[in-house]
Amino acid sequence: MGIYTLTALVSVVVVLAIELLWLRTGILRTWRYWLAMAIVMGFQVPVDGWLTKLSDPLVLYNEADMTGIRAPWDIPVEDFAFGFGMVTLAMVLWVHAGRREERRAGAGSGPATGTAGPRQEQRA
Amino acid sequence: MERGEYLVVMGLCLLITLPLELLLGARVWRRPRRLLVAMAPLVVAYSIWDIAMIAAGSWSYSDEKLTGILLPFEMPLEELVFFVVVPICGLLTLEAVGNVLTALGRLRAGEPVGRVLRDLPHGGGPRPAPAGSTGAEVA
Repeated sequence: MGIYTLTALVSVVVVLAIELLWLRTGILRTWRYWLAMAIVMGFQVPVDGWLTKLSDPLVLYNEADMTGIRAPWDIPVEDFAFGFGMVTLAMVLWVHAGRREERRAGAGSGPATGTAGPRQEQRA
Repeated sequence: MERGEYLVVMGLCLLITLPLELLLGARVWRRPRRLLVAMAPLVVAYSIWDIAMIAAGSWSYSDEKLTGILLPFEMPLEELVFFVVVPICGLLTLEAVGNVLTALGRLRAGEPVGRVLRDLPHGGGPRPAPAGSTGAEVA
């Protein structure tokens, strides 16, 4: 336990709060979000694994600032919270930006441009 | 290669996700304005976190594997690239998965495979051109 463990957990809480209390895109209730996150976390293993491998690391961590638990390979568990929070934030901001663009476009012209987005979000 | 290794890894991430844009119609790279609006706050927030952690000595970077190019506040160029590339890979995945799910829904609704596959690179949903077809009501 250390500053990385703490801030990684806080980052996830902050990102979830941004979605649930502020932007409310509803993305967490969609299949596409969870499927995409599963794929992203799957690909995090080879990429992050390469960056953090203790035999020849690109990124070096101060073990005192984290739990020291590394798995799979030598990936610090904190990295998964980091990645989950960061990619979730990107998706929330992306969907939010899309909604705003649509609203602005919809204010002028009537046709159903880009209806695919919102309809997908309604799928449980 | 050695000193550019981190950048090469990031380049591979972009390369491997490119088919999501080109074949599965993710339309992330093709919406640069929206991408910029979405990414800017994230890049700023995570850069601040990174800079603070580097200053605190929580993590550091291999001198041999990075270009050595430092941005303000001692942040390696590679870290900025990371905060841009990895989230974009996530967005490409999100859009591509959404399109595939939409396409699967259309197939289940009995639409011809050929038409559904033809629409996939354009976003997965039925294009407005063939108006009034059943595909519009996929739920």
